[in-house]
Amino acid sequence: MGQIIMHIDVNSAFLSWTAAYEKQMGIERDIRTVPAVIGGNEQSRHGIVLAKSTPAKKFKIQTGMSLMEARQMCPDLLVIPPDYNIYVRASKALREYLKKYTPDVEVFSIDECFLRFTDINRDQAVKLAYKIKDGVRDKFGYTVNIGISENKLLAKQAGDLEKPDKCHTMFIEEIKEKLWPLPVEELFMVGRRTRPKLNRWGIYTIGELANADYKLIAAMLKSHGRLIYNYAWGRDISIFKEKDPIKSVGNSSTLKFDITDRETAHVVLLSLTEMTAWRLREAGMYCRVVSISIKDKDFGFKIKQRKIMYFTDCTRDIYLNACSLFDELWDNKPVRALGVHVSDLEFSRFKQINFFQDELSLKNEILDKTVDEVRAKYGDNSIIRGVFANTDLKPVLGGYPDDEYPGMTSIL
Amino acid sequence: MKIINEPIKVMAVFNTDGKIEPVKFRIDDKVVRIEKIMKTYEENIVGNTRIVFVCLHKGKDIFELKYELDTKTWYLFKK
Repeated sequence: MGQIIMHIDVNSAFLSWTAAYEKQMGIERDIRTVPAVIGGNEQSRHGIVLAKSTPAKKFKIQTGMSLMEARQMCPDLLVIPPDYNIYVRASKALREYLKKYTPDVEVFSIDECFLRFTDINRDQAVKLAYKIKDGVRDKFGYTVNIGISENKLLAKQAGDLEKPDKCHTMFIEEIKEKLWPLPVEELFMVGRRTRPKLNRWGIYTIGELANADYKLIAAMLKSHGRLIYNYAWGRDISIFKEKDPIKSVGNSSTLKFDITDRETAHVVLLSLTEMTAWRLREAGMYCRVVSISIKDKDFGFKIKQRKIMYFTDCTRDIYLNACSLFDELWDNKPVRALGVHVSDLEFSRFKQINFFQDELSLKNEILDKTVDEVRAKYGDNSIIRGVFANTDLKPVLGGYPDDEYPGMTSIL
Repeated sequence: MKIINEPIKVMAVFNTDGKIEPVKFRIDDKVVRIEKIMKTYEENIVGNTRIVFVCLHKGKDIFELKYELDTKTWYLFKK
């Protein structure tokens, strides 16, 4: 008897959560039964589809598409703004609920979890999965898909088979009938970049990938090729991570307008740094690597990082590094989105004294703590930096902690 | 029965065993006294916990009150 891994995936998460919440608030409509999407604010240029209802799917509306395109496909589309407070609370409540069944819960993203069970056979696992699925529906008012297998990859693939409100198994001996007939882009880690390459070599299904020449795949796609080849055979050596310590903290934001000058970019970097550094201090950690990301108006994306000489949690130190990184990286193209991230974190109550840090930075550390206390007591905007006065830029930018849930991770 | 879902002022007894009993509440400048609590249960939709009280008034009117734990607010949900 080995281990059983289950993959829990909330069916169109943001939309289901909004629908269940609206029901609790007594709003008499069910956005799950009409063509509806959760979409960002178009005025501030966050106008993409974040989640869609099943009727909206029939219009071939896809997650990530712009709201304008979606409206062209379905003129009566209902667009609902997202509310991350609901989602974070729903996600936490789901995790707490799942912990009743097993202590081994790995959070994969805001709406996906892996559960590990040992000492359980397959029939019991299937029964249990149905119990969990129905339990979530009755308790929280939304549906989930559960995939059951022996490793994380196959559990995830099983969960994607047929939606919504279903349980599926995909054990290693079932891959020939359940996994192989699927189109190759359904395989985890095969995306819009890899699919055309595979198609060019005549590989259209996962089965064709599994039976392709391993040497060819490995030679053409290097380590990524070896990985997806093994995935096609259901081989996955990833380990179950129970608790993931924070590895990085960061915030990014798409801006209301394209930035064309250096000064404004620095100001936006400051507002992002305010948030990032505050969260870093909140976690009681120090960082040694600062990185920034720039997305230009043509969606070109660049990142650059730098290691600094000492561990710090000071807003000013992070900001100055972010600015100089920006100056090195920026190619004068209008900027659409900016991000500041810090990593190489150290958790410590004591701090090594060092002579690379100047006196102003030491003073600023004390100032930061005071500012944090003022903000905790009187609100985020109770004390702001002078540059933000009389501008419509937000003094503290990036609310949703986008790395608390490793949303776009490629590592199982 | 109509869904209202509006915050209201409530007078309630908080018992030593943790049980909550609403006594009366105010709506449209009228005080409604609760005669009997017919049913209480907890709902936890998308993680938002509310305690639901189905109450009887004058032997025939049914009110549904909800106490939201996160915001510590009472709602008249249905009347």
